[in-house]
This record gives sequence, structure tokens and C-alpha cells, in this order.
Amino acid sequence: MYNVWLIAKREYLERVRTKSFLISTILIPLLMGGGIIASVVFNSNAKSTSHISIVSRDQQLATDLQSELQSGKDSEMTVSVISPPGPTTRATLDEMLADKQIDGYLWITPSNETNARPSFAYTPRSAADIATKDAITSALRTVLMRERLAHQGMVSSDVAALMQPVEVDTTQAGKNADSTSSYVATAILFFLMYMVIMLYGMNVARSIIEEKTSRVFEVLLATIRPEEMMAGKMLGVGSVGLTQVGIWLAAAILLTSTSLVSSLAGGNVHVSLTAVEIIFFVVYFVLGFLVYASIAAALGAMTNSEQELQQLNMFLVMPLAACFFAAGLVVTNPSSTFSVIISLIPFCSPLLMYLRISLAMPPAWQIALSIVLMLATIYVILWIASRIYRVGILMYGKKPTLPEILRWLKYS
Amino acid sequence: MPIVELQNVRKAYDTKIAVDDLSFTIEPGSMFGLLGPNGSGKTSSIRMMIGITVPDAGSVSLFGEPFTRKNLHRVGYLPEERGLYKKMKVLDQLIFLGQLHGLDAATASKRAQQWSERVDITAAIHKKTEELSKGMQQKIQFIAALLHEPELIIMDEPFSGLDPVNASVLMDTLVDLRNQGRTILFSTHRMDQVEKLCDSICLIHNSHLVLSGAMREIKSRYPNNRVHMTFEGDASFLNHPSVEEAKNYSGRAEIKLRDGDDGQALLAEAITRARITRFEVMEPTLEEIFIEKVTAEPKAVNAGGMVDV
Repeated sequence: MYNVWLIAKREYLERVRTKSFLISTILIPLLMGGGIIASVVFNSNAKSTSHISIVSRDQQLATDLQSELQSGKDSEMTVSVISPPGPTTRATLDEMLADKQIDGYLWITPSNETNARPSFAYTPRSAADIATKDAITSALRTVLMRERLAHQGMVSSDVAALMQPVEVDTTQAGKNADSTSSYVATAILFFLMYMVIMLYGMNVARSIIEEKTSRVFEVLLATIRPEEMMAGKMLGVGSVGLTQVGIWLAAAILLTSTSLVSSLAGGNVHVSLTAVEIIFFVVYFVLGFLVYASIAAALGAMTNSEQELQQLNMFLVMPLAACFFAAGLVVTNPSSTFSVIISLIPFCSPLLMYLRISLAMPPAWQIALSIVLMLATIYVILWIASRIYRVGILMYGKKPTLPEILRWLKYS
Repeated sequence: MPIVELQNVRKAYDTKIAVDDLSFTIEPGSMFGLLGPNGSGKTSSIRMMIGITVPDAGSVSLFGEPFTRKNLHRVGYLPEERGLYKKMKVLDQLIFLGQLHGLDAATASKRAQQWSERVDITAAIHKKTEELSKGMQQKIQFIAALLHEPELIIMDEPFSGLDPVNASVLMDTLVDLRNQGRTILFSTHRMDQVEKLCDSICLIHNSHLVLSGAMREIKSRYPNNRVHMTFEGDASFLNHPSVEEAKNYSGRAEIKLRDGDDGQALLAEAITRARITRFEVMEPTLEEIFIEKVTAEPKAVNAGGMVDV
């Protein structure tokens, strides 16, 4: 165990001291914070502020639309109404458009038939201004509907009541059924794991390949066992990843909890977790990382170059992706036999057992079993990886046979 | 009690036989040379001694008991290829390797600095390994193998890639260590290096043992039938009837005499034709013995192929 510690310590310190680690550790939270602030700022300014003109012979419709666009819930445009249009109106508007005085104009031609909708033609300065077009479309729909309802003889207060948006309250049903929040937490866990596995799982594999090419293994294997080396590398590189993610998470919590962000975002960025959930989150995250890192170690042991490794990295991604799809099934019925079985599979436990825990606490024995199975898997994969490693580097491509593996066992 | 004992060891890689039926022993406190041309199975033999690979057949004993990993703390190993972390600082690296061999950090650091002074690399100790020359790296690797004061020192091609000055620094160090009672095994394909260093040798060729034993004993098996001479002038005396075989490197001749001849007649003949500045009758060099042995046993050819990794 002492050797594992030594290897892990060296790996950790050497990596944490590199400039790239420092830069990525600092840069990612900065980008993250910048991104959050930018999206918050962008969201608050998402309402279209274009300046447009409405041309219509129907003044009532035009002014209704004007007020909807200027003070509606989706837009804060400046709207001028030209009603009725003169013979030179279109030419004038085109000129204004060219001069950038307006962002576009809406030409409303009433229909000849009664009760048919008028036709609308919007001429924007830039065809890419989708936000304005959308705002106009939705404002038109509202105005027309309101007009038609009034036309049918409804009082304006009834119309207003009818047009009121519906709000669904999802917070009342109680913690255990709050699948949205659980699902969001699982999604975060998934993306964190995906990122860390791709970054640091591959780093585990890479550091093993590096050891092979630099021939350091010869010196190391003359004193320690390959499985000690494997475990040390995995823990060392893994802790670097966990350190980094820890720093990022702390930064993220700090960022989202600052009053600035929450006031800007209006409380939209919010995932609430209980203490128990946080503990399980950490446990399953760490174990999950180790399961996948051990696969990465085995991949590193099998390959001799970065290129070969790239071809094999689907073995890391596939089980993870499969779990994410299975999560959709588990979330609808967290206690079904399917959910129980799949959440006990070591490659899926980190995501799915955690999902089940956050949805409806599964029996303790299932949690314990999943943890035991994951630990056993890590051990077995490492054991196999260290054999592949030792035989692979020294046997010149000869595939290890079962009797040979047994002889390795006896010898170490 | 021999400190290393190999008995009928055999190792095959896929289709190549790296070592076949190899047996030898190394006595404590001796300097042992494992000799052979490139690809003869030296490295494969060494790897089996330190448990990196396992023999397919036969047995390896260290310190009088069958191989166990716990005895590896008593062994210092210098691999043929540099095995150092490129980005790591030299001192950190030495401390790390020392710790792996069971030293505590403080002792490892102290010894690393003492050794650095001894082999004259103190200036490099705070640099990263990749910044150093190949010779410097070899010295660091050398120190790394010795930090934990092993009883048995195993070095695979320790002098390859070193200039004569550095090579002799390391040779002197090895001799010192031997004089302190350590056992040293080193492999080389340069047989001239071994003559003055080794107490005993083992010569392998194409995975097979050609010759082994104490240096003096091996040499004494061969008669003083070699002549090394330096001359100026006519070389026709090399056709003298007492000469069985002669090589003339423009003024320096290596001659093998016919059995029973003492070389005096050749000298008398030579003096009449050329100016002689050196004439030495001697036992054959290891290289000559080796060539003689190998050419005498053509059956061994093609058994091993190039497995020198």
C-alpha cells in the first residue's frame, strides 16, 4: 500500500504543479462565470427592442398591435403606426429602412372577404432578426384572437382572464416525487462524470502509455508490482481530476449563490440537494470515476500509442451513454425490477443508483450491494489490467494464456 | 553460498527463444560480467533475475533462496534504456526512487546529494531530467540504482553511451563498491571493457551459454599463443611458418601462433625485415576466445534472432 501511495503522490504532485493544470483550473470557472453572467444578461435583454413601422388601413388593429408590441410580455419595441397608407408610403419606408431609421415594417392588407384574416407582410432590414419576427407573430396572434373574441361578444375582462397564461405548481407534491430536480442532479452528475472521465480517465491511460515509452516501468517493476503501479497511477491522476472538479464545483456554488447572479437570473439557476444526497453524490461520483478510470487503465495497458488509445475510447463512452438513456426509464419507475437490476450493474450504479436514491430511497442493501460491486469491479479490472500490462510490455505482442496468467499470480 | 544462481533457465518470446538452458552462479563480493553480442539474451536473463519476467523453465535464486519480491530491496538495478521521468526534477526523482526502495525521504535526499558530488553532477540536481545530456542521465540512473545501498547491483550495459572519462568514473565506482563487499553483475557487448574489471564471466551467444567461470581460470585454459606487435616496414614476416593466422592493421599485427610455438623464431625473422617497437606474447583476449568459441560451434546460429530488449 505504501508503494501505491508513493506512486499516487508523485503522479499527483507532478501534475498539479504543471502550468496547464493551473491554467485550466482557473480558466474554466472564469469561463463558467462569464457564461452564466452573459446568459443572464442576455436573457434579460432577450426582449426585442427593434423599431418598426406598421402600415394598415385598419387603425384599430394597428394600434392594438402597437400597444402589444411596445408593452407586451415578450417585447419592448418602438412602433410607429401609419394609417392609412399614402401612395408614397412604401417608398418612404424603404428609404428609412435603407437609412437604418427603422428595423423593418409590417404591411397589413385587409382581406376582401368578411371574417377572413388580413394578410401580413413583414419586410425586415436583416432577414436574420428572428427575435423581432417571432415577437410580431406572437403579438399578432394575441391581438387577432382578442379581437375575434371581442367580436364574438365577450367582455374585455373575460378576454383578459382567458388569455392569462397557465402556471403549473410543481413544488407542492413533495420531495420524493420531485423527479425534475433529481433528473437535473443526475444530468449534472452525468456531465461531470463524462467530462472528468474523458479528461482524466484518458489521462490515466495516457500516463500508463507514457511510462511504457519512457521505459520508467523497468526501474519501477524491479521493486514494485504492476498492480501497485496501476492503482497508484489511477489514484494519483484521479485525485488531480477530483481536485480540479472540486475547485470548479466550489466556484460554481459560489457563483450561483451570489446575490448578483440570483437576482439577475431571478432564481432560475437553482438545484437544491439535501445533505444525504450530497454525500451519495460524492460517493457515487468518486466510485464511478474509479470504475471508469480502471477501464481506462486497462485500455492504456493494452495499447502502445495515443492513436491506438483513441480508437478504444468508445469503451469508456458507450457504457456511460447507455446509462444515460436507461436513466429515462428509471426515472419513470425507480423501483421496478429493471431499475433495480440495471442500477446494480457496476458501470451503471454511479448514475442510476444515485438517480434512484434521489427519487425514492431504495433499500439499504441495494445501495450497499452496488457499492460493494463497484469496489469489486475496480479491483478485478485493475488486476486484469496489471496482468495485461506486464505481459504486454515484456512479451512482445504475445497474448497471455491462462496458464501463464496463473504463473504470474504465483510469482508475485 | 552463491548470491545469484540460475539453473537451466529457459525463456521464449512468442516464436523466439531468448534464453535457453542457461546456468551460472555469482559468488558474493565478486564482479561478474555477462557478455555476449547484441541480441544474445543478456537483457532477458537479467530481467528474470529481478522478477520482471518469469522463466518458462528452470529456476532463479537470489541470496540463496528461490526468487521472492521482498528480496528485491537488496538489489539495485540499472536498466539498459534510461528509465527516468523527463519532466521531473533530478533530486525529486532520486528521492522518489529511493523511497520505492524503502528509504525515507530524508535519507534518500542526503544520499542522493552525496552521490551527486561523487559522480560530479551536483549542478544538475535541481534541473529537470529532460534538460540533461544522455551521459548525465545515465549517471542519475546509476545513482538511482545505488541509493538504497543494495548488496547485489545489477547493471545492464552501464557504460553504453558514455564518453571515456565518465565511463571510467563509473568503472572506478563499481570497483570501489566491489571492494566494499558488494556483488556486481553487469552486462556488456564490449568484451575489452571486461577483461580488467571482472572476477568471473559468463559468455552467451544466440541464447546459449558459451563459456562461464572465473576469469583467471578461463584464461589459463588457453595457451600463450597470441602475439601483439607494433612494427614499421616490411610485413612479409607474417607469412612465417610459425604463424597460423595474422591480422595486420597497418603496423599493428595480431598473430595467432601454431600450437607449441613460443614466438621466438617469428621475432627473429621479423627483426631482419622490419623495425619492431613492441612484441608481446600473451594469452588470447576474451574477444579472441569468444570468436574462436562461436566460430567453432556453428550449430548455435539462428536459434535466437535479435531479442535484445
